[in-house]
Amino acid sequence: MQERSVKLRLNQQQLELLQRTVAGGAAASVVDLVRRALRESAPSRGEKPNG
Amino acid sequence: MAEREPLFTWTMLPGTGKALEVRKGQVLRIEQLEGAQCVDFNCFNLHDYKEFMHCGRTRTVHGFNPTKGMFLWSAPPRERAMMYVIEDTYARNDVLFPRCSAYLYESAYGFHTHTNCHDIQSEAQREYGLTPDDVHDSFNIFMCTEITTEGRATITRQSAKKGDYIELIALMDVLAVPNVCGADIMRTSNFSLKPIKLEIFRATENEIAAVPQTPVLRSQRTPEDFTNSAIKATRELVADKSYVARFPNTPIIEQEIVVDLSAEEALCLDRLARRDLYGDDDGAALRDIVFSWWESQFLNAASGAPQIAKT
Repeated sequence: MQERSVKLRLNQQQLELLQRTVAGGAAASVVDLVRRALRESAPSRGEKPNG
Repeated sequence: MAEREPLFTWTMLPGTGKALEVRKGQVLRIEQLEGAQCVDFNCFNLHDYKEFMHCGRTRTVHGFNPTKGMFLWSAPPRERAMMYVIEDTYARNDVLFPRCSAYLYESAYGFHTHTNCHDIQSEAQREYGLTPDDVHDSFNIFMCTEITTEGRATITRQSAKKGDYIELIALMDVLAVPNVCGADIMRTSNFSLKPIKLEIFRATENEIAAVPQTPVLRSQRTPEDFTNSAIKATRELVADKSYVARFPNTPIIEQEIVVDLSAEEALCLDRLARRDLYGDDDGAALRDIVFSWWESQFLNAASGAPQIAKT
């Protein structure tokens, strides 16, 4: 698997929610928050993805 | 005040309803005199009838069968807790079914005139100047309903006994309108109509203190906040030629954020992506993952229900 750039399109309301979450200390930036969401959503071994 | 103060008693006969002013801090008790009698219930803000109990909001917050420990909510954009159920000895109530109506009894049973909850509510509400169009979906008390596996709501017989009661404490001044359900040829009240006892008490300080606090939010708007707060006085709908749309937060504009994923993160994305919904659109798949995660982490109020602080 290779590194990849993904273009995430967010409207102003979606972005506001993530920015408020960042401001609350959940991550250093919106991009970091997205990465955190991805990591923490990853299914553990044996768990069925795409649920 | 350690003891409840009785304020009012009424026997609601079959075929009738009663509009009752229940002030903030007062308790309305609705009690079975014989048993097995469904009661339909409407509720309005006594000082602004345009604010009324909303079954849709109530079932979203509390489910299909509201009971003790749950609130009756008003419709958007007010969305305030109007009443709170402090006791419910039978605990079978419903916010799925609409009130029964004359149309039902004519179309299904051939009656020209038959007792029905809509018309009983209309007649009871007429005392306060309301019209048949003001009757709203009812909180159906002592009504047993089920959802079938085919997704249909059904009514079953009930077993409420003489003396079973529900008590609602008013959290604002309300016009509460219970009626004896008019369905005598359905299983709703086991094929008969029976009287119901109504009582109003002044609640004790302990009862008032025991009501959980609900959030007070800016989004709970009143007519002072409305762009148009005038109650329309004519029936015809005519476009306002000076109207200019003012939808909030519009235009909706999307912004692109580039997220550089490591090989491991890219693998996570591919494992999680809902390709059945988003195909090869990685951005849409990632957006779904982010907001689904956000819900799991930060959404403390299911279905948009307000978080209710425990007292």
